[in-house]
Amino acid sequence: MAKDITIYTTNTCAYCVMVKKWLKAKDLTYQEVNLDEHPERQKEAFEASGQLAVPVTVVTKKDDSKEVIVGYNLAKLAPAVA
Amino acid sequence: MSETKKKIDAHSHRIWDVIMVGAGPAALSAAVYTSREDITTLLFEKGAIGGLAAVTDWIDNYPGFPKGIAGLELAENLRLQAERFGAYIELGDVMSVKRSGDHIELDTTSGPFKARAVLLATGSDWKKIGVPGEKEYFGRGVHYCATCDGAFYRDKRLAVIGGGNSAVQEAIFLTRYASHIDLLVRGDSFRASEVLQHELKKHTDKITVHLNTTTDEIVAVDNKVDHVVGTRKTTGKKVEFPVDGVFVFVGLEPNTQFLKGSGVDLDEIKLVKTNGHLMTSVKGIFAAGDVRSGATMQIASATGEGATAALEIREYLDDLKK
Repeated sequence: MAKDITIYTTNTCAYCVMVKKWLKAKDLTYQEVNLDEHPERQKEAFEASGQLAVPVTVVTKKDDSKEVIVGYNLAKLAPAVA
Repeated sequence: MSETKKKIDAHSHRIWDVIMVGAGPAALSAAVYTSREDITTLLFEKGAIGGLAAVTDWIDNYPGFPKGIAGLELAENLRLQAERFGAYIELGDVMSVKRSGDHIELDTTSGPFKARAVLLATGSDWKKIGVPGEKEYFGRGVHYCATCDGAFYRDKRLAVIGGGNSAVQEAIFLTRYASHIDLLVRGDSFRASEVLQHELKKHTDKITVHLNTTTDEIVAVDNKVDHVVGTRKTTGKKVEFPVDGVFVFVGLEPNTQFLKGSGVDLDEIKLVKTNGHLMTSVKGIFAAGDVRSGATMQIASATGEGATAALEIREYLDDLKK
C-alpha cells in the first residue's frame, strides 16, 4: 500500500488527467505538483524519473522505498500502488 | 471503489450488448448513440480518454466550435455526454478479441468480458521516424506529445519533425516555451492545411522552416540531446541543427496488434477492413475511426463513423433477437 503519492503534471497534459482520474477511481489520494505553475520544480521531476516528460508519479511505499512511473502506464501504476 | 467501477464489477459476469475497444472520438460518439437507446455499453481505454484528440493542443476544424476547442476539453465533453446516457468506461487494456459461439470474448487487464457485438475504435499512435538516437533518447529529448512534455523546454531550442497538420499545430504550440524551433519537413511543401500554414507565418520570429530536409540522426553529447543531423535533399549536403529536444509528428500507425489471431482482416498497412455496414470479417465485430481502412483520419469523420457504427450495431443486435 502506498504511503504517499506525488504526481508531476502540466496544464495541457491529457495523460496527467488520466493518471489522476485512475487514482481517484481507486480512492487513492495524491499530491499534485503542476510544473506550469512551479517550473522551478522541473529539476525535481527530472531527477526522480530521468525523463523530460509528464506525468511522473512517485509512489512512496510503507517501507519508504519509492517507485517512479512515467506516463499513463497502468501495467506499472497498478502494482506500484497495490 | 468508485460507483462506476462497482457497477462494472457487478456486471462483469454478464454479456454486454456492445463492448467498445478504445474511447476516442469514434467510440465515445458511438457510445452516445448506443447507451441512449439502452444498449448496454462498456468502453475500454488503455491511454487517454479522447485518444490522440485529447493530447492535441487545439482543434480548429471540428464543426460547432467557431473559435476552435482545446483537444482536452473536446475529449472531456465527449466523455461526459457518453456517460450521461449510461455508458461505462473502464481504464484498462484489451489483449485479445475472439468470436465464441453466439458472442464475442475479450481478454482484458480487468479480466474476461463477453459481448454480443464489439466496436474496434483503437485509433492510431504517432509513427516513429526510425533514425539513430530516436529510441535511445525517447522521453529524454525525443518526444511525441507537445502538450505533455513541451513545458520542459522553456527558453530551449527544439526541432519539430514533420510537415502535416499535427507537426505545424504542435510547433506553433511549442513557441509558448521554446526560444527557437527548426521545423524539418522532408517534402518540398507542407501537407498541413492552408489555414495552419497561414498561422505558421505569424511565428517566423521563433520558427524556421526547412523544406526538403530529411532527419537522419539525433545526436547526444554527455547523454543529452545536442543536435539533429539532416540532409538537404536539393544539394545532398549534411546539415546540423543544434537543439535541446526533438518533437516528432510524421504520421500515424494503427493500434491493431491485439487483433492477431482474432480472424479480423487487416489491409496492407494494418488497418481494419470493413464492409459497407462497418462490420469486419468477423460477424458482430465492427470498426470505426482512424483504425478503419479507408478512414480519413479526421476527428469529425471519426465521430460520424462512430454514430454510423452505433446504428449498424443496433440493427445487428435487433436481428439477433429475431
